[in-house]
Amino acid sequence: MAKDQPPDTDKAMEFKEKGNKCFEKQDYRGAEAYYTTAINHDPKNPLLFTNRAMALLKMSLWDQVITDSLHAISLLPTNMKAYYYLAQAQIALHQSESALTHALKAHRLCVQEIQKTGKIGASLGVITELVLRCKKEDWERREKERSRRRGGFREEIMGLLEKERDRVLAEAQEGGERADLKREFEDKIEDLRELFASSDLAHDPRQRKSVPDYFVDDITFAVMVDPVVTKTGNSYERASIMEHLKRSHTDPLTREPLTMEDLRPNLALRAACEEYLHDNGWAVDW
Amino acid sequence: MAFASKRLGKELAKIHGSLPPGITLVTAEGFQEWLLDIQVLDANPIYMNKTFRLKFKFSPSYPIEPPEVTFLNTADRPVPMHPHIYSNGIICLDLLGQQGWSPVQNVESICMSLQSMLTGNTKNERPEGDEQFVASNRRRPRDIDFYYHDNTV
Repeated sequence: MAKDQPPDTDKAMEFKEKGNKCFEKQDYRGAEAYYTTAINHDPKNPLLFTNRAMALLKMSLWDQVITDSLHAISLLPTNMKAYYYLAQAQIALHQSESALTHALKAHRLCVQEIQKTGKIGASLGVITELVLRCKKEDWERREKERSRRRGGFREEIMGLLEKERDRVLAEAQEGGERADLKREFEDKIEDLRELFASSDLAHDPRQRKSVPDYFVDDITFAVMVDPVVTKTGNSYERASIMEHLKRSHTDPLTREPLTMEDLRPNLALRAACEEYLHDNGWAVDW
Repeated sequence: MAFASKRLGKELAKIHGSLPPGITLVTAEGFQEWLLDIQVLDANPIYMNKTFRLKFKFSPSYPIEPPEVTFLNTADRPVPMHPHIYSNGIICLDLLGQQGWSPVQNVESICMSLQSMLTGNTKNERPEGDEQFVASNRRRPRDIDFYYHDNTV
């Protein structure tokens, strides 16, 4: 199809519908082809790119998901789904830092959407889970990097100490003095080894105790990402208390009436949870 | 949203760590059905030296939706006598109903509630209309609108 053809939004919608039908039947390749045709008819419609990204995601074509998501975002900066797909593709490619940024962005957009429309969909729950997964992956990346750097550092310091020992011993005179020096260096090397070992212990998985209750949502039992507080003073993960409110407009602790409007973000707790997960990403799957 | 399995996994980890006295886990295979035994710890003559078996059935939307909890009747595990427990094991407790349930409840807290429901009971009897209810009921326990008429037992 010629690129300079004027956009035909009706045609585009028609092909989008065909694509959606394929998607429902799990024919993702077929869906992708229809979405592509739809895009050719209406290249300025961000939702067509989001839909194609969704089909590509199902086929694990991560790089293409990223391209389409970014394009969809450039056409519509509040495109929550595009950020959601983008984050998933990036996590699959182990780009955990950007994945986390974009998952958080999707989360923020989703909360704004709920506040604007008053409607609670199913998205917030899955996005919250994705944020947690990104936090864990990002922590793992930093841990790996830390232990790699540290391993190199230890080798380097040990090497310097051993070199110094060899130099001093070579200059020392035979006999008592030399034996004393040798022992002195052996002690130093042993001390250094212990020093590294004791600080490694702080990062040893066996040192991980249970997660403090005040970081944990009483409904999902997961560490909170976006805690909100009710008038009882108890905080819950926003996604899970919303899920509860869909079913019952009551405070989970007191059964008193509770609505979405009564909830307030608990910013201090959110910052505390964030800091805790930054240092303890394992807590996502404790 | 299917967060049931994640949450149940975490509950199970806690249960394997410790459980209050008189509550023991029998089986927890998968996240659909768990069995737990409970005992009444004080000297209540109705329940002395007896052990009761609870069956928990979870839906994928647990803990937003309550689990289905019933007493099982086996050779060495009778259904406890109580004016709120039918002889087929169905329990009439507001906390387990659609209205009374709260997602902050959990397997352990349910067991403890049932324990204390038995502990405080002095009537060695079944609910009114037990025979008829047991013979005719085809509904799932949580869909039954019990009339919580007597909160003193």
